[in-house]
Amino acid sequence: MLLSLKNIFKWVNSGGQRIFLLKDINLEVLEGEFISIMGPSGSGKSTLLNVIGMLDGFDEGEYHFLDESVHTLKEKHRANLYKEYIGFVFQSYHLLDDLTVKENLEMPLLYKKFSSSERKAMVADMLDRFNIVGKKDLFPAQLSGGQQQLVGIARALISSPKLILADEPTGNLNSKQGEEIMALFKQLNDEGVTIIQVTHSEKNADYGSRIINLLDGRMI
Amino acid sequence: MLKHHIKLFFRNLARNKSTFFINLVGLSSGLTCVLLVFLWVSDELNKDRFHVNKERLYQVFRNVPNGQGSLNTYGSNSSLMLTSLQEEVPEVEKAVAVFGINGNAMLQTEDKKLGSTGFFASEDYFNLFSIPLLSGDANEVLQDINAIVISKEMAKTLFGTNTYPIGKNLIIKSGVNSFEDLFTVTGIFEIPKNSSENFDFVLPYKRFLKDRDPQDIHWGSNSSSMYALLEEGVKIDALNSKIKDFIKKKDSENQASVFFGLYTDNYLQNRFVDGKRSGGRITYVILLSIIAFFILCIACINFMNLSTAKASKRIKEIGVKKVIGAKRNALILQFLTESVLLACFSLTVACAIVVLILPWFSDVTGKELEFPLNSGFILVLLGVAFLTGLFAGSYPALYLTKFEAIKVLKGKLPTSFGELIIRKGLVIFQFSISILLIVAVSIIYLQLDFIQSKNLGFEKDQVITFERQDGLAYNMETFLEKARNIPGVVNASYMQGNMTNFSNSSSNHRWPGQSEESKKLTFRHAHVGRNFIETMGIEIKEGRSYIDEIPNTNSKIILNETAVKLMGMENPIGTVIDMRGPNREIIGVVKDFNIQSLYEEITPMALLCRNEWISTLLVKIRKGEEKRTLAALSKLYEEFNPGLAFNFQFLDAQYQQLYVAEQRVASLSKYFAALAILISCLGLFGLAAFTAQLRKKEISIRKVLGQTAAQAFIMLSGEFVKLVVLAMLVTLPIAYALANDWLSDFAYRIPLRIWYFLGAGFVALFIALFTVVGQAAMTANSSPVKALRQE
Repeated sequence: MLLSLKNIFKWVNSGGQRIFLLKDINLEVLEGEFISIMGPSGSGKSTLLNVIGMLDGFDEGEYHFLDESVHTLKEKHRANLYKEYIGFVFQSYHLLDDLTVKENLEMPLLYKKFSSSERKAMVADMLDRFNIVGKKDLFPAQLSGGQQQLVGIARALISSPKLILADEPTGNLNSKQGEEIMALFKQLNDEGVTIIQVTHSEKNADYGSRIINLLDGRMI
Repeated sequence: MLKHHIKLFFRNLARNKSTFFINLVGLSSGLTCVLLVFLWVSDELNKDRFHVNKERLYQVFRNVPNGQGSLNTYGSNSSLMLTSLQEEVPEVEKAVAVFGINGNAMLQTEDKKLGSTGFFASEDYFNLFSIPLLSGDANEVLQDINAIVISKEMAKTLFGTNTYPIGKNLIIKSGVNSFEDLFTVTGIFEIPKNSSENFDFVLPYKRFLKDRDPQDIHWGSNSSSMYALLEEGVKIDALNSKIKDFIKKKDSENQASVFFGLYTDNYLQNRFVDGKRSGGRITYVILLSIIAFFILCIACINFMNLSTAKASKRIKEIGVKKVIGAKRNALILQFLTESVLLACFSLTVACAIVVLILPWFSDVTGKELEFPLNSGFILVLLGVAFLTGLFAGSYPALYLTKFEAIKVLKGKLPTSFGELIIRKGLVIFQFSISILLIVAVSIIYLQLDFIQSKNLGFEKDQVITFERQDGLAYNMETFLEKARNIPGVVNASYMQGNMTNFSNSSSNHRWPGQSEESKKLTFRHAHVGRNFIETMGIEIKEGRSYIDEIPNTNSKIILNETAVKLMGMENPIGTVIDMRGPNREIIGVVKDFNIQSLYEEITPMALLCRNEWISTLLVKIRKGEEKRTLAALSKLYEEFNPGLAFNFQFLDAQYQQLYVAEQRVASLSKYFAALAILISCLGLFGLAAFTAQLRKKEISIRKVLGQTAAQAFIMLSGEFVKLVVLAMLVTLPIAYALANDWLSDFAYRIPLRIWYFLGAGFVALFIALFTVVGQAAMTANSSPVKALRQE
């Protein structure tokens, strides 16, 4: 089992009232799954994804990731854990505008202990795998949205994470580009990468092996 | 990794050229200030440090009660002190006596004649002071009574050869000392660049003693400076308390106590208050260092403010990097690398500017500064750049990297109350410093102006002064007689010392009705000519002047008002007193006049009608006829001094030289103040531009809801006005206290008026407004639809 959430609660206090963002979430994710989280705006999809990605905390409950109990870990260890095992893909890609495609891909490796030649090999590998060798020296602004998201995914994959978290990866793309990205996800999943995505679209959700529906912070 | 940081730095720079430019201009001008002041300060601090034995080299000072409740400190001593030091103080390894020749002496060879300065010094002079001898042995050059040691330049000018003129003869004439003799060159010296003293020749002290009237050699006659090289390991405090009463033991009448003061302190700490060293040039060294430091601070603040204000532009990068795996330390390092790089850039620019303006700066400071290219200086440069980068980058680095990744990725930049306070506080700090500098500059200028226009009690305009030299040594009275006959000459006279310094003083005088306390009263005195009081336009309060007097009378004296008051005399005229001669009748009392810089109060003064030791001639000329009169005087002068140029100075120009240090600081701080306000405004400009951009949406909404452009404009510029007004409020009390402190050194000073301070504040306010107005107007007038559509 990759991760499990048990009785997860998350809330904020506003005007003396406790507003629940997540209510009693129980979820087990096995390696190799492709899960889609769905639900209307404000239902807590992104919050759940951030909790899983350890970018955000929670107030109650237990979270185990690869046999580590996340809820007992200190902030620093938690950060080390997600940096090692989790890759993120964002709706608005979040590529660095000042860096070329190649440099954007290389960036995560800079913060891990790879030698320069290792980094070069890994970047070349990734460019090859995603068929973007020809674009390696372009800046994000010179790419289409779909291409940018491609680079975003490549960047998330470059340090071979066990889990990819994608927050509406096709939200800013047109339908054709969206389909291509989803096909890519499907392919990655077939190759063994575990994926959790947040999506609005039924069609995109169908690419996954399992759908989780959220309403007002509760799984239904 | 470093490569990655540098790459990002350059790409960022290319994208934010205006911010980069503001930072570069600010930091490089800040660094320029620091470098210039560093060069100036290190030159000041290096003065006289070349003496090998500087830690053991002392001057003997006397503290004498002045009868007004405090001590006056003198660097002069009796010539008897030399042998006493050598024989009776075991802590003294070697001692040297120096007698300075007043004014210029004429050095003459067969065909050349040259006015030059020098002194008499005892044998060990070149052993004590490490002034290198290019030729001659330090132990021997001053042994022979007719020996002379001259400077390299003097040797070249007088003898014209490239070989050292050892054994050649020359004649020295000194008008002041009525002295003329033949000397043989025994040595050539070269004064190091960083020497505070500059002179052309040295004669043996023996020669000075030979001419000295034995009657004048006693413990009360102080004409020479005494220097001592102490044995190694001597505790100076213990020695000073031991020799305190040295003079009193020799001469029970004498009130002076003695102490050793470090010779190398003489340059920077040249002022004494109540018997102790009390600042001097060091004040300005410290002052300028602080100013330079603050200007650099202002520039660093610009960097901090702009970097944090522009945070939203970088924040995505930080968020992404954090999510991808960057630790906070790595990000902090990235930002520090960027700021250090910027500082290095600015340093390069600053060095170029310094090299360009160094000649000008040398001129303003009256120094010969050069850009040193040694490893030590380069190390200092790199150190400064590194520290500046670190300091400027510290706050942005810590601030920008502290946010949680998830929050910044959502595009929201949490602006805390504390952060706003810090940013505004920094702007207030910048403007406080600017206002402080503006106040400082105006106060210094006003005070200098006040000093120069103050009624000194004598008329300094239209008076020319020149040295008694050459022919005038013998025919001074005849010369003056003829000078008075020149049409356009109002009057002419002579004096000992000059009008900006009566250097002689004495105490232990007796008069009827003297109180015990006033026995200690120290009087300044000068020998003057008959027409002196009339020439100088000094007013007679009671009695008469010396107008019909024959010089060298021993029976008459004229005092000033202060003297009479402190002596406690009701009817001074006709009273016979014992002062510089046993039976002198007070024939006149003059109104007080200032002879020293206005740092000093007027002291008791006596004028004696004598023509010995006269060094200066004074001629008052009629206004409007200067050119013709001066030509006639020059002609007359040449008759008396064939082959010598008529070298004169207007008295008011000489008077201004008293405040050379103040004038230099004033003009320097003028530039620094301008720079400070310029850099502050650059920062404000950047900040205003950015705020305008940030608030575009807010302004648009307001405008859609009915706010007029004028209201928006007032709202936007009001923000900055508030900051500057706050800075004014913070600064004014500090400025007032500092101004008061600086002025309190002057005996005569301008009253502090509130509008000096408000004026400075408004100048800053006006400049700040001018800076932000354009931005504010642009934002206020922009179309609201555009800004809202961007959302």
